[in-house]
Amino acid sequence: MAYGYTGKVLRVDLTEEKTSVEPLNGDWAKEYIGGKGLGARYLFEELKPGTDPLSPENVLSIWTGPLVGTMVPLTSRYAVITKSPLTGTFLDSYAGGYFGPEMKYAGFDAIIIKGKAPKPSYLYVNDGNAEIRDAKNVWGKDMFKTEELLREEVGQKAARIAGIGQAGEKLSRIAGVTSDITRNAGRGGAGAVFGSKNLKAVVAKGSLGVEVPKIDEFAKMAKQMLLKDVVENPDHAGLVTDGTPIIVDMSQDAAILPTNNWHNGQFDGYQGIDSDALKTRVFVRKKACFGCGIACGSWAKVRDGPFKGSSTEGPEYETLGLAGSNCGVRNIEAIVKFAEECDRLGLDTISAGAAVGFAMDLYEKGIITKEDTGGLDLKFGNEEAYAKMPEMIAERKSKIGDLLAEGSLLAARKIGKDTEKLVIHAKGSEYPAYDPRGSIGMALAYATSDRGADHNRAWPVASDAYGDGDPWSTEGKAAICHEEQIMKSYKWSMIYCDFYGVSAENMAMYFTAVTEQPASVDWLNAVGVRVWNLVRAFNVREGFSKKDDTMPDRMESEPLPTGKTEGKTVPRAAFDKMLSEYYQLWGWDDDGKPTKKTLEDAGLGDIVAKLDYLK
Amino acid sequence: MSKGLKAEVEKCTGCQICALVCSATHVGKFNPSESRMNVMDLYPEPGEVRLNYCIQCDEHPCVEACPAEAIKFNDALGIYYVDKEECTGCGMCVEACPHDGCWMDPSESYSIKCDLCGGAPQCVEVCPKGVLKR
Repeated sequence: MAYGYTGKVLRVDLTEEKTSVEPLNGDWAKEYIGGKGLGARYLFEELKPGTDPLSPENVLSIWTGPLVGTMVPLTSRYAVITKSPLTGTFLDSYAGGYFGPEMKYAGFDAIIIKGKAPKPSYLYVNDGNAEIRDAKNVWGKDMFKTEELLREEVGQKAARIAGIGQAGEKLSRIAGVTSDITRNAGRGGAGAVFGSKNLKAVVAKGSLGVEVPKIDEFAKMAKQMLLKDVVENPDHAGLVTDGTPIIVDMSQDAAILPTNNWHNGQFDGYQGIDSDALKTRVFVRKKACFGCGIACGSWAKVRDGPFKGSSTEGPEYETLGLAGSNCGVRNIEAIVKFAEECDRLGLDTISAGAAVGFAMDLYEKGIITKEDTGGLDLKFGNEEAYAKMPEMIAERKSKIGDLLAEGSLLAARKIGKDTEKLVIHAKGSEYPAYDPRGSIGMALAYATSDRGADHNRAWPVASDAYGDGDPWSTEGKAAICHEEQIMKSYKWSMIYCDFYGVSAENMAMYFTAVTEQPASVDWLNAVGVRVWNLVRAFNVREGFSKKDDTMPDRMESEPLPTGKTEGKTVPRAAFDKMLSEYYQLWGWDDDGKPTKKTLEDAGLGDIVAKLDYLK
Repeated sequence: MSKGLKAEVEKCTGCQICALVCSATHVGKFNPSESRMNVMDLYPEPGEVRLNYCIQCDEHPCVEACPAEAIKFNDALGIYYVDKEECTGCGMCVEACPHDGCWMDPSESYSIKCDLCGGAPQCVEVCPKGVLKR
């Protein structure tokens, strides 16, 4: 195996309560790198199409990559890869913090988990060894307590833990996997997959380290890059001083800040939830993930008022948007509390925030009442009621808590009464905090994201609503999505942080420095094309096609009321035009399915025979 | 006056880059477990970080505790360091240190502590937030 890889995959059969170690597939490693790519390849091979994501047959995998644990800046993350219970699609969800490198130092590139444990269990990995242990002391407990207890139980005060709170145990489809208290592989419901397998957590402690060739030269290079390309990189300036909350004001100005369940793109209370509010009212100190010189995270603690004492790392922009303005919440202290609750209970703040905003909309319209909310007066902006919602969802308390635990879309389908139109989502995944009515390329980005609506696959908003481009022109939007999806596919296969504005040339340089394998920008692009097509083929095999690459009707039928987006919508014709251009760029057919030639050109000839639609 | 590293720990973000470069320098791989700088998150009070390392205190009880006389004085730097060849791995220094400044290598065969990289401490050079000073 090349440098950078441990060369080992840990196999866990929870049903039989057995573990085994096998070599990493070296041929695949060369074609898919690690993280997203390699995880997708294994999942495509090992998951039977049509599998219920919450059945023992689903495959749950945790991945690192060749750069993880080295001094290459901002790469020490991990990926949870499985089939999503929220969307039914492929799911790759990432978290920073410290778990990723620890798992690799413990000896494994990947952990692949199948079956269902006969009783609540956790997995302990330590220097090449693995053990399935009884989780009776932590089952039912939140992640803060679980981390503390499991560290004691394994006798390692520096062990790192990725696990689930009550939300995952109770199979909420918006439950994430939480590590280091506040870092979440949040999106897509991977926490429920843990829960469905009776798996509370993976605990890692490792002292095996990672070797790279010519480490003295390597460290010198990494030191220089850390300074020049990370700390002094002007692209990172806002992240160093503010972090993602800086985007609140940008979105308010562009009038794309989701407000009151997407009925407005501007929030009159935005000054209570923006970066200045964070810095002046709750900020404690900056916090970094492993190997990061930026430290975009902010530790926040509420100083007084009803939420006094609550603390979290963040809240990040998406939380401020979905769980802030979109719920009509005007005070950052309340959002700190909400974020802390979501971390503690193991909920994705984007989906949870969006779900609460949706429920508030239902409540204001009289579609649900106090009878459904457990007595809560769930009006937009009622912070006291809002702060109780994460627990209602995670514990499935009250009718609405139980419904929202399924995600907004399934909840709406159960409620009926035409409420589905109030849910702003793609493939069941709630939109992140950029309203396409002021950046129509985002409608395409959301519709075509492989794990359902998402901002980490393509982000055209950067060059239009936040840049000089025309937010309402379709021109070039398909190309941006196409290009960025390729780039993110290889970037996530090496598991860089999104916030490292690293060039493709430097990504190739780092890869070669770690693995001694040749790499170029062309090669990285080829990997990106291969990975995105593979994942698309996975989703097509699960029944997805053009019919699912959609935007909510409200994007077309409900113009935004104020600011730069006043009267603006995403016209259906514009959306359809972008989508058809997009399929052409990818070499997919009119139904959004990769053609045989496209797959063969991408180096995926061997999967053609496994796809019924190509027979 | 102590000759050890100084740290403004309140500026530390917990990124562990110091531990990465330290292990690269001392053992030739990236492995925070073998670093002479131990970056500790303080649970359950998250967000707080503690830096454990040898501050080269004036009392140096580790030197007195070592039965093998393996903790030696470097005249040029004015600091005490562990001579790995002579260390028997008994752990007496670890017990004696009141600052959590030295600990056992993961192999448990010898103790490790900051030796200032022979005069040019790499962690000081690399720390992105300027936490560490010579």
